[in-house]
Amino acid sequence: MKKILLAAATSVAMIASSAMAGDVRLDGFPDFNSHLDKLIPSFAEKNPDIKITYQMNNHGDHHKKLTTNLATGSGAGDVVIVDVGFIGSFINAGGFENLSGSAYGADAMSGEFVGYAWNQGKGSDGNQYGVPIDIGPGVMYYRRDILDSVGGEIDGVIKDWDSYIEYGKKLKAKKVFLIADAADVAKAIILTTVKPGEGYFFDNDGNSLITSQRFVDAFDVAKRIRDEGLDGQIGAWTNEWYDGFKQGTVATQLSGAWLLGHLQNWMAPDTKGKWGASNLPDGIFGSWGGSFLAIPKQAKNKKEAWEFIKFLTSTSEAQIAGLKNIGSFPVLKATYSDAAFDEPIEFLAGQKARQLFAQVAEKVPAVAPKKGDLIAEDVVFRGALLEVLNDGKDIMAALKDAERLIKRRVK
Amino acid sequence: MPNYSPPDKTDAKGVWIFGDGTPADYPVRKSSSKLISRKRRKALMPWLFISPYLILFGLFTAFPLGFSIFLSFQEWNPVSGLSGMKFVGFENYISAYDDPWLWKSLYNTVWLAVASGVPQHLIAIPIAYLLVMALKSGLRHIYTATMFIPFITSTIAVSLIFYSIYSTQSGILNQWLLLAADAPLIGWMFAWVHDVMPLRWLGSSSLIKPAIAFVVVWKYTGFNIVIYSAGFLTVSKELYDAAKVDGCNGWQQFWHVALPMIRPFVFFALTLTIIGNLQLFEEPYVLTAGNSGGVSQSGLTASYYLYLVGWEWLEMGAAAAISWMLFLFIAIVTSLHFYFNGRKGLEGNR
Amino acid sequence: MAKTATSAFKKSSNWVVQAILIFGVLVTIFPFVWVALMGTHSRSDIFSSPPPFYVGDRLMENYAKLLEIMPFWTVLGNSLFVSVLGTLGAVLFCSMCAYGFFAFDFRGKNIIFGIMVASMMVPPVLTLIPFFLTVKFLGILDTHFALWFPGVANAFGIFLIRQYMVTSITRDLLDAAKVDGASELRIYWSVVLPLIKPALATLAIVMFIGLWNNFLAPLIVISSPDKYVLTLALRSVQSLANSPWGAVMLGTFLSMVPLLLAFVFFSKQMMAGLTAGAVKG
Repeated sequence: MKKILLAAATSVAMIASSAMAGDVRLDGFPDFNSHLDKLIPSFAEKNPDIKITYQMNNHGDHHKKLTTNLATGSGAGDVVIVDVGFIGSFINAGGFENLSGSAYGADAMSGEFVGYAWNQGKGSDGNQYGVPIDIGPGVMYYRRDILDSVGGEIDGVIKDWDSYIEYGKKLKAKKVFLIADAADVAKAIILTTVKPGEGYFFDNDGNSLITSQRFVDAFDVAKRIRDEGLDGQIGAWTNEWYDGFKQGTVATQLSGAWLLGHLQNWMAPDTKGKWGASNLPDGIFGSWGGSFLAIPKQAKNKKEAWEFIKFLTSTSEAQIAGLKNIGSFPVLKATYSDAAFDEPIEFLAGQKARQLFAQVAEKVPAVAPKKGDLIAEDVVFRGALLEVLNDGKDIMAALKDAERLIKRRVK
Repeated sequence: MPNYSPPDKTDAKGVWIFGDGTPADYPVRKSSSKLISRKRRKALMPWLFISPYLILFGLFTAFPLGFSIFLSFQEWNPVSGLSGMKFVGFENYISAYDDPWLWKSLYNTVWLAVASGVPQHLIAIPIAYLLVMALKSGLRHIYTATMFIPFITSTIAVSLIFYSIYSTQSGILNQWLLLAADAPLIGWMFAWVHDVMPLRWLGSSSLIKPAIAFVVVWKYTGFNIVIYSAGFLTVSKELYDAAKVDGCNGWQQFWHVALPMIRPFVFFALTLTIIGNLQLFEEPYVLTAGNSGGVSQSGLTASYYLYLVGWEWLEMGAAAAISWMLFLFIAIVTSLHFYFNGRKGLEGNR
Repeated sequence: MAKTATSAFKKSSNWVVQAILIFGVLVTIFPFVWVALMGTHSRSDIFSSPPPFYVGDRLMENYAKLLEIMPFWTVLGNSLFVSVLGTLGAVLFCSMCAYGFFAFDFRGKNIIFGIMVASMMVPPVLTLIPFFLTVKFLGILDTHFALWFPGVANAFGIFLIRQYMVTSITRDLLDAAKVDGASELRIYWSVVLPLIKPALATLAIVMFIGLWNNFLAPLIVISSPDKYVLTLALRSVQSLANSPWGAVMLGTFLSMVPLLLAFVFFSKQMMAGLTAGAVKG
């Protein structure tokens, strides 16, 4: 007991003394810690008077803690990581430093970054609040051996959604699923075929677009896949999902570039050489995931925090290290000419896939986040879409019900 | 049946002896002169005893409650900080009133509360009785400890395990059903299995509620067994003996002696189940993998919905209003429970 | 034991009883065993389909990894510290308050008791932000005190113990003690407490588990890694990406062991109350 008290007392003293100016704490979620462990020594070499620490919590917990910290104005780190799913609602709420301000001058960096990601970090006032650190350019991973077994070629498969579905019908005869979950197709279409000047779910005046043709078409394609029995109705991140990749019972997966790292490290390491990556079907370009760095207004050491952000995001060294350490895809365009991008990837049968990822990244259209996106995403993707696919509800009826709820909740 | 009142004072092991001998432990204070201050002290006595609760309530409960009432009249994105609140009057309550997901979630909540609440007690009461009556204490320990394990299993383990069990293709639940259907003797009972396979326990709107309810029963029955065991242990041997003299068989002893005696425990455990089940959050959240309650939101409970509104949609004011509507609902149900069962449940056999 | 009362049905249906109990044990112990097994496998194995239900060969590797990703024994010690203090506090203060509600009639008693029960009905999901504000206001951010102290006099415990007092302590007993001139504190301490041991043990079990498994409060209160508790440490290394699931499952299993030990310890106390139960007047 006495010992514990003593330990507690000393640790208090330690904290009091260690909280010097120049300390920067980064709050984030794994696997950024593996990345930081390797990068911090290099940063410390160049900035000996800045001491970097970090605090990791799992993805959901981190955002909950960050929300609490921003709500109460205390407890947040000097640098925080924000997932792309939350960035829209976080940057417009006023809790983060305006990085376009003279103290930071982020605007000067804009040209160095992949355009759509940079824009996602912009508030509706046109100022920069978040700086992207990694992105997830969307591609289709496919099994080469399965494709060969029906004598197809990839360009024919991804020509449009009809040809994609045709491919699925051929696979059905061989008891192979075209895709794990048809819902992925609908989500991809909805998020990638946004008209210029519109948001994902709302137009510029805040009117819902949910009953527009884009949503109806997307639901329709997914429903065709489901009704034909071409998908496995397998949820992502489940044992059956991994099993589909391992056993070759699922032929394609639409995903961010980062899936590659998971496939080769632990999901299906034995399938090396059997995979390929291509553009998404129907000529669409989109992204899956991505993270941003921001400085909370409550942060104590903002200048140092900004130095660290610049190091992480706008030096080739750190960005390439991210790719190598944890497979997070660089957002800094200068890295795309790095030798790492010419490396053939054995898991993908020697394909130079990183070049494909980079091409995709530069073609993803920028879509401005709107108030209510979080709600609409839940209501459409986890509500209406599943009702249509799993319960056979009429598409228009489901979308109208969803719209009704969204109008109730988004003021 | 004769009415068994507790027998008069018993003396076992001389733990406490009244009536005979001198109460040496009690120094009798004679302070007649300070009668008034003693009276005041006497009046203060109960407050002294409940002061820990009052202090902690004041420190840690009162403010959060007040805050959340206040919040329910505001529009607030928590990320915008405390200054970002905007007064909106009753708007949060009005929009909650015809929010389709709220009503759906309330329906799910009630469904799950009943389907996962009733079996817990129907299983726990007899098992606790068996454990207390029929087993030697060593064996009883082992049984109680193992049955309590689900209650201590961490959420992450629960989710991983039940995901595997409910898994459509390889899950052992479906595998066993198929085995049973093909088995020689009992196959006819499971003939329906082949028609309905593959069963998507967590992926279809009709199965997700039973799937969640099972996990809840699995997890909390052991907890109730412990509560009821504590209850059955208060029933003294003499009562059973008296009943036996009157010719009661084992069943009658359970029904007419033991059960009435543990009424306060049943009342307490039911109160906890009502309140806990109507706030059900963790199990549906984990089993629908953060998918907002799964297909058709059949697994979306009211607590889950207000979590969604507050923490994921970042509409804390609206969530606060929903939480007070849920509170009102729970309060009504609990009041009915207190009204019908409270007289005996709260007062016991005194 | 009430042997006389049960011998009849014991003879006739003993095997039925045993069968029911053993079935119950199998259903409940299964996940525990499974978690233990998963701690001996690599991540790829854990996430194969169907998952392995046998002992793997990665135990030492997982253990080494577990120590690498977190100061496991330190955070386990922190959890123990928080849970033990919170449990002791709850046993003391809840029984005190329960006695207040049980033994006295005073103005406002029913209202306070009603508010207390009602406070259990408020969904806890939303009180996180005001709780953080309170903790910050009291200046106890980043302390273990903020984790165990707020729960030491809680509605659940008071209600539970009050109910137990109602069944096991009679008015006569209290009156007799009063006639003998005992002070209220004395009655509470030397008469009532020994008689409600099973209830105290029950409360201790539930409190210990609740404190041990709590993670929301640590998440927002604790910021120094050396003060992390086990739940927080185990959750903080989880991600869809590269978390070492074998090590996490091993840690999860190890984190359940103290709970089981605590249960066995307290449940002994609970059953020991059998004697006390027979004493009631």
